[in-house]
Amino acid sequence: MERVVTINLNGNSYQLEEPAYDALRAYMTRAEAALGANPDKAEIVRDLEQAIADKCGSYLSPGKSVVSASDMSRILGEMGPVEGEAEAGAQQQQSGAAPNHEPFRPNRRLYRIYDNGAWTGVSAGMAAYAGIDVAWVRIFWIVSGLFTGGFTCLVYLVMIFAVPVASTSEELAAAHGAPFNAQEVIDRAKREYGRFTETSTANWRSEERRWRRSWRQQQRTWDADRGAGATQAAAAPAQPVGYVERMFAGLFAFVFSIITAALLIAFLIAFFSLLSSGSVLGWTPPGDAPTWLVLIVLAIAYAAISSPFSALQRTSYATLSGRRTGGATDGLATIAIVVLVGAFAWVYSPDARAFMEQGYVVVRDFVTYWDRQW
Amino acid sequence: MPIADEQFAGLRKGLLEFAILTFVSGRASAYVGDILEALAPTPFATQEGTLYPLLSKLRREEFVDYQWVESGQGPPRKYYQLTDKGSGRLGELAAYWRHLTSTLESLGR
Repeated sequence: MERVVTINLNGNSYQLEEPAYDALRAYMTRAEAALGANPDKAEIVRDLEQAIADKCGSYLSPGKSVVSASDMSRILGEMGPVEGEAEAGAQQQQSGAAPNHEPFRPNRRLYRIYDNGAWTGVSAGMAAYAGIDVAWVRIFWIVSGLFTGGFTCLVYLVMIFAVPVASTSEELAAAHGAPFNAQEVIDRAKREYGRFTETSTANWRSEERRWRRSWRQQQRTWDADRGAGATQAAAAPAQPVGYVERMFAGLFAFVFSIITAALLIAFLIAFFSLLSSGSVLGWTPPGDAPTWLVLIVLAIAYAAISSPFSALQRTSYATLSGRRTGGATDGLATIAIVVLVGAFAWVYSPDARAFMEQGYVVVRDFVTYWDRQW
Repeated sequence: MPIADEQFAGLRKGLLEFAILTFVSGRASAYVGDILEALAPTPFATQEGTLYPLLSKLRREEFVDYQWVESGQGPPRKYYQLTDKGSGRLGELAAYWRHLTSTLESLGR
């Protein structure tokens, strides 16, 4: 899914995907800069806009009303860099006519691409990377999933987390490994990539260190407000991070989601088996400790064990989304895994099914008890 | 050929103005699409990004002028034609070009 920007090119409106719009604006900004003090600047800019509008028109049809990022990179490639008069003399010696420029090829990278009909973007990204039709990749996943008994489905699942989404025009260009002629965009991409690789690794580490400090503090006063610690831990870099960092953040998000979900499941099992049978996996609380006390101890132990993992999970999601707080994604992911595991257990394991029914009985009894008492 | 392309780019660039004036002189009027299309198969192949600024410079120097002409589909287009001053300039360029080539030939002898 891509946001669409409606623009006015010389009095006609066109709809562009957001990365296409970014690329166009970068091109026009550079054109204006190159024209500098040219007295006919405004007119040339209008002419260029008109030429781009004409080209946009040729990429559209009754069935296609939006100019995509790849359309735009092709259009701007056809337009060629705008040469001001001052610059034209200087360039004359160096590189000469625009069509002979070696097109810039960004590093080809695997991204997820949300394009037409993409569900997770994994297949579209792989297709763009390999330069083949997305249908072949989808068929590959389905066939290999059938033959390996679902193993590749797991690979696919991990890829959803580990492969970053291409969200900017530079990333889209990198996903296709396509030449990209809008010089401004390239310059920006190079500059920013350099900066990110320098800073983001350090950022990620310092965030981890900061988190560890805050966690130790939290350990000391861990009956204090747990939310404060978690928010601080989630203060991931609020800027886009490099490809590798995003990949690791994705993997961490995946692993920690599973760990927190497993801990939650373990807690639920322990909680309900204590309530219903007074023991946890065959272990009976010592002596005459009342059940409510054991439950409280269990809840505290769960909070202590799971809080570092959920904080790490939260940081990973925040890094992925590039926002300071990862939103509710991490919690939702945990709940989704728990529900999924629960559903599978319900269908495939009679023991688990019996246990869950037992849990339901416990809850029902508790509710009737509550009603009677109050 | 690609090597020659790269090496002589500066030479072609300097002559692009000559090429455009020559093309425009050959017909009553031409719009940018015509010029691009005609130059595309030649060594003077160019792009909008180069052509628009160059045409505006030629117009400012009064070598060409344009008129808005309604097109069948889409918005009106600018049709350029050579001015009197422009054909004078083209004559000068052609004479100078002949002078250059004959000089080069005589140097080799």
